[in-house]
Amino acid sequence: MSTVKHILRTVTLISTACLATSIHAQQQPPQLFSGMEGYTFLPDGTPVPIWGYGWVADGFITLPAPLLTYNEGESVQLNFTNPSPESHTIHLHGLDVDQANDGVPGTSFLVTTGDDATYSFDADYPGTFLYHCHVTTTLHLTMGMYGMVLVTRPDFTLYEGGPAYAEDVPLLFSDLEVATNLDPVGSYPFHDIRPDVFMINGESGSQLEAPERIVHFEPGQPLALRLGSMAYSRVVCQFPPELNATCYMSDGRPLPTPFEPNALEIYPGERFTVLVDPEPGWDGTLPCEFWSMVDETLESVENIHIRDAALTVEEPQFIGAMGYPNPTRECITWDDARQIEVWNAYGVPVADLRFERGVLDVAGWPVGTYVARIDGGRSVRFVVIG
Amino acid sequence: MNLQLSSVVYFSIMSNRLRLVLKCIGTTGFVLATVLALGQDSLFIMRGTWDQLPEAPQILRLNSSANWSEQNAILEREAGMASNLVIVNTDSTSHVWALLMGETEGITIEPGDTTVVDLPALPVGTYRLGLIDGEGSGLGAQSMLQVGLQSDGYPALFHWTLCDWETGQMAAWSSGTEPDPSEAYVPNYFSINEQTYPTTLEDPNALVSLALGDTCWIAVANHGQMDHVLHFHGFHVEVLTSNLQPARIGWSKDTVPVKKGEGLTVQLVANQAGIYPVHDHNLIAVTNAGFYPGGMLTQIIVDQ
Repeated sequence: MSTVKHILRTVTLISTACLATSIHAQQQPPQLFSGMEGYTFLPDGTPVPIWGYGWVADGFITLPAPLLTYNEGESVQLNFTNPSPESHTIHLHGLDVDQANDGVPGTSFLVTTGDDATYSFDADYPGTFLYHCHVTTTLHLTMGMYGMVLVTRPDFTLYEGGPAYAEDVPLLFSDLEVATNLDPVGSYPFHDIRPDVFMINGESGSQLEAPERIVHFEPGQPLALRLGSMAYSRVVCQFPPELNATCYMSDGRPLPTPFEPNALEIYPGERFTVLVDPEPGWDGTLPCEFWSMVDETLESVENIHIRDAALTVEEPQFIGAMGYPNPTRECITWDDARQIEVWNAYGVPVADLRFERGVLDVAGWPVGTYVARIDGGRSVRFVVIG
Repeated sequence: MNLQLSSVVYFSIMSNRLRLVLKCIGTTGFVLATVLALGQDSLFIMRGTWDQLPEAPQILRLNSSANWSEQNAILEREAGMASNLVIVNTDSTSHVWALLMGETEGITIEPGDTTVVDLPALPVGTYRLGLIDGEGSGLGAQSMLQVGLQSDGYPALFHWTLCDWETGQMAAWSSGTEPDPSEAYVPNYFSINEQTYPTTLEDPNALVSLALGDTCWIAVANHGQMDHVLHFHGFHVEVLTSNLQPARIGWSKDTVPVKKGEGLTVQLVANQAGIYPVHDHNLIAVTNAGFYPGGMLTQIIVDQ
């Protein structure tokens, strides 16, 4: 498929579907694949080329890459296949893996074109971590090869003896320079990269104002904001007092003394875990400032909209739109769905759907990424695995 | 922080007759006499060239002797004890010296002059000192003061002085002109201990070499014009001291911001063997003249 056709089909797909990474924890992907022919879309619809990781071998990648979730104490085998034309790795940022699994060319193994590899490590510490390609990092990471890793506890406490919470909310800050992504070969010299798009979970500006991007809470049920940065910028989160925020962890370790943040600085590569338990009825934003590390100018302010779930009664499709399990082998369920339409990753409608009482039978479907439009409204992404 | 340096410029309190005698004897004689009398160590402000930045015609350094070195000298002091320091300006222009803890005023040292300054009693930690005039700081005459970190070899002590450089600015200072303040700052070199990767691996203080199970301390100072953020592969470190981010003391981190002007100390326990990079995670800083890998990048090597 030509690049132009790929863009047009992907634009069509995007116009009917919201493909950005969900902020809700997903089932752990069994396998990551690299891709170097993906696109992300600016708020005005402009497609920007990206490299990245995806869950399936059909080249479909996302910005940021899929969220990886593991349980504390789990011995992880993360499989990685590289079908793309350049070598890649996975550096598990902050997980203190051994040298062999560190994902650094020269000291660890390189995954060349067509190769498979397995990264092995123990998820000893609960917390917020990151992953990214460490091959020519200034280029591969900048092009979008990064994502977040969460290591959690089944009892929904942050760490042993730590506070309890109701839900994880991953929030990954990043940025890109459009000119670099449009012409990665011509991006030298790297020291003058100056980002001009500033993102939270791969989206910015008006994209973050979409109803499905609102972070909902129930009073008395704290949310764990999993804040991490892959940006070139210094991010400053300005916590409104109504959020009742307390910072408990940084870089996957409990803080000696939790504190109530006002302006929380997050430098490139850093992570923080902040519990928020907003005032009942609160409906507002958490402003996140992006400051240049070079000249300390304010580059952008991106907002995370947080709202009491009781205020969103006019959007019943919010509940149950996630679908489960996802990824899936046999079937996927949307509890409240009555009617469904499905497209594959290239925008081709899937015919002869076997759908009954909210359950879509996908047995025998080709492995890949699909988009479902539920009841003619909300569109969601799901993955069929082999 | 105002520490009231109360610097003593010995020339200023000497009689004109003694000053004249010392001028006749010469700077070197005065320094030797002072060092012998008071047991102080010295810093020599020196001008030279730097092989790693071919575009920068000249640089300034604080050397521990009159022999030229591309690396600034590191000073050590005991905690809680005031002391003195002899500074010799061998350069052809005057410079302004200060202990860099927020001071905007310092001690002017004329070309060829020697000054003895007081260092105040300081708590355990990593501090910065050096020249604060535009040319002096712009050409790199800034160094580190380690207070109370000496421990007879255990824990092993390493140091990283971080800096960013724009060779265009340096060329202006070298030619005796001030850089155009309206020009954007575009640093194109980044260094640890005045070394850029891969030369950092040849510096026994930039390259952290340990045995499995060892504990070390790393004193870090940021002399640059921008913040930096160090990411440790393979390890978390504990922040022991920090002059600009004291709230972070005691935190266990794999990614450590080092603010512009900051001195901090971290502790690393070598609990797994192998070779692990440490680098600035602001990725523009792991380049040399725009090419990756380079710049602010070194390694931790832990032997079995």
